[in-house]
Amino acid sequence: MKKLLAVVALLFALPAWAQKADVLHLYNWNDYMSDETIKRFEAFCKCKVKQTYYSDNDELIAKLQAGAKGYDVLVPTMNAVEALIKMKALMPLDKAQLPNLKNVMPEYLNTAFDPGNTYSAPYAMSITLIGYNDRKVKELGVPVDSWATIFDPKILEKIKGKVTVMDSQRELMAAALKYLGYSVNDTDDAHLQEAKAVLLKAKPYWAAFNASSYIKELTVGNIWVAHGFSNDMFQANLDAKEAKRPFGILPALPKEGAVLALDAMVIHKSAPRPDLAHKFINFMLDGKNSADLTNMIGSGNPNADAMQYITPEIKALKAVFPDAETAKKLEMLKDLNSKQRRAMSKIWTEVKVK
Amino acid sequence: MSTRAQKWLVSGPPLVYLLVFFAIPTLIMLLASFQYPGEYGGLAPLFGTGDPDELSGLTFESYQRFFGDAIYLGLFFKSFLYATATTLFCLLLAYPLALLITRSPKKYRDLLVLLVILPFWSNFLIRIYAWMIILGPQSLFAKGFNGFVGLFGIGPLPLLFSPIAVLIGLVYVHLPFMVLPLYANLEKHDPALLDAAQDLGASSWRRFWRITFPLSLPGVYAGSALVFIPALGIFAIPDILGGTDGILVGNLIKQQFLDSRDWPFGSVLSMILTLLAILFVGLAAWFARRK
Repeated sequence: MKKLLAVVALLFALPAWAQKADVLHLYNWNDYMSDETIKRFEAFCKCKVKQTYYSDNDELIAKLQAGAKGYDVLVPTMNAVEALIKMKALMPLDKAQLPNLKNVMPEYLNTAFDPGNTYSAPYAMSITLIGYNDRKVKELGVPVDSWATIFDPKILEKIKGKVTVMDSQRELMAAALKYLGYSVNDTDDAHLQEAKAVLLKAKPYWAAFNASSYIKELTVGNIWVAHGFSNDMFQANLDAKEAKRPFGILPALPKEGAVLALDAMVIHKSAPRPDLAHKFINFMLDGKNSADLTNMIGSGNPNADAMQYITPEIKALKAVFPDAETAKKLEMLKDLNSKQRRAMSKIWTEVKVK
Repeated sequence: MSTRAQKWLVSGPPLVYLLVFFAIPTLIMLLASFQYPGEYGGLAPLFGTGDPDELSGLTFESYQRFFGDAIYLGLFFKSFLYATATTLFCLLLAYPLALLITRSPKKYRDLLVLLVILPFWSNFLIRIYAWMIILGPQSLFAKGFNGFVGLFGIGPLPLLFSPIAVLIGLVYVHLPFMVLPLYANLEKHDPALLDAAQDLGASSWRRFWRITFPLSLPGVYAGSALVFIPALGIFAIPDILGGTDGILVGNLIKQQFLDSRDWPFGSVLSMILTLLAILFVGLAAWFARRK
């Protein structure tokens, strides 16, 4: 009986004890952080990291706009950083606590989205591209050097029902706009209608709009071609290797260009622990820790000091480190105003329903 | 204490609950449906600062958008069909099951009811993800199914990311909501009625059709409402199991609030969904009371 009482007492004591511990609340993209890095940071700060996930910037903004609280660090893409700044949702960074900010390459600092980096510190990059099952694509002779792979019915004919595209209106429209030779930020109605026509023509060949389970579907072999983030394709390849699948998942950067997402760490204005948040940001800006991110999850890296620690195999990947010629064709998304969002949403609904 | 006071005491808490968690939010949503969307999401202010570029005040814009394009009403109709099909399949599966539980020996009944509720112990999303694996092309189930239809020269048919997958998910998730009210109703039937009918020479089918089924109608209506209404607004199942044309009205509403950050239009869609649901409950209650 005494034993039982002790156990019960312990059970009641546990939550109280857990609450007292230092906890950093990180609201991050799914699959955008390696467990090892988290463990090392936890050992370094003697705190716990509690990570929650989102799969789209709009989802993050919508949640914060609706009054979500309790997050310390967020990792939005730069266009979302700009929107969050205008929404007055962020806390300015205390640069004195971030000596490692000097490691970031100058071309990724002081962008128009956040002049002077008052609020944001670059974290990692990803390119939205095409990931494919190398064996199947070779067998079927499907070209993967262009957006035509997911948009041209002639090519799609061979992989019908084995393709997923992103369940994100901005990303999918951007790919279609690039395919047509327009900018990813084009808001001209005629061009958007053209892009819509491209999507509608290709839609019957796709299996699904998929924002977060395409990694698994690629790894298992259910899907042969997926439109998604470069680091997700890297992860899918690692998973396929680990499961000893007879194929690999490779990334292909379309020749027309693609969306480049520079994601940055920001602190929410109602962050419960800005001290831990700054510690975390500075930790992630350290060359070695930043390089880990690239080595383990295959994200692009804006950190100059990280380059020396990145494995040569990953450095050679064009989808992670594009050459200067390709880099010129990459574009970052800009945030849309409410009118443009409505126009986009109308097109997106038509694409999804028709 | 007077009976009047007692009545209020009993009905007070649920009334307050409905007021706080249903009536007030619905009124807020009604107001939101007439507002302009905010620049970064949320709502534009009701009273503007006088800046001519700033949108503020009330508008019929979102309603005009809804009724101006058949696509939205079409989606409501599609969701209505899915919800109706789900309700019918649930009824067809749940009725025999509930009847079986009622007619089984008393000592097993609680266990059988527990088995019906058991799936609730694991998270709903995990159960739906499990269906993703069951229906995926690599699964034994899909291979067996396609081997079977292959005998007739059909297929292979993709099961995952299809309307069938969505329907399976919907029926699977909502089945207990049909079984429980049916069981609660069937259990109360007086067996003497069936004995009397048998003594008077009624066949087993006639006994069911003339006695059990009419008496169970309140349970059928309650179960149908419990299945139909959530099925009408659900978005997670079409999101996970549906294909490229799998979206239902719930997905469109989620899209307005999360992806497009267009609260007014999302509110219009939600208002119409709520109206339809109330209409359905009203109809079910009316039918049940008429009996």
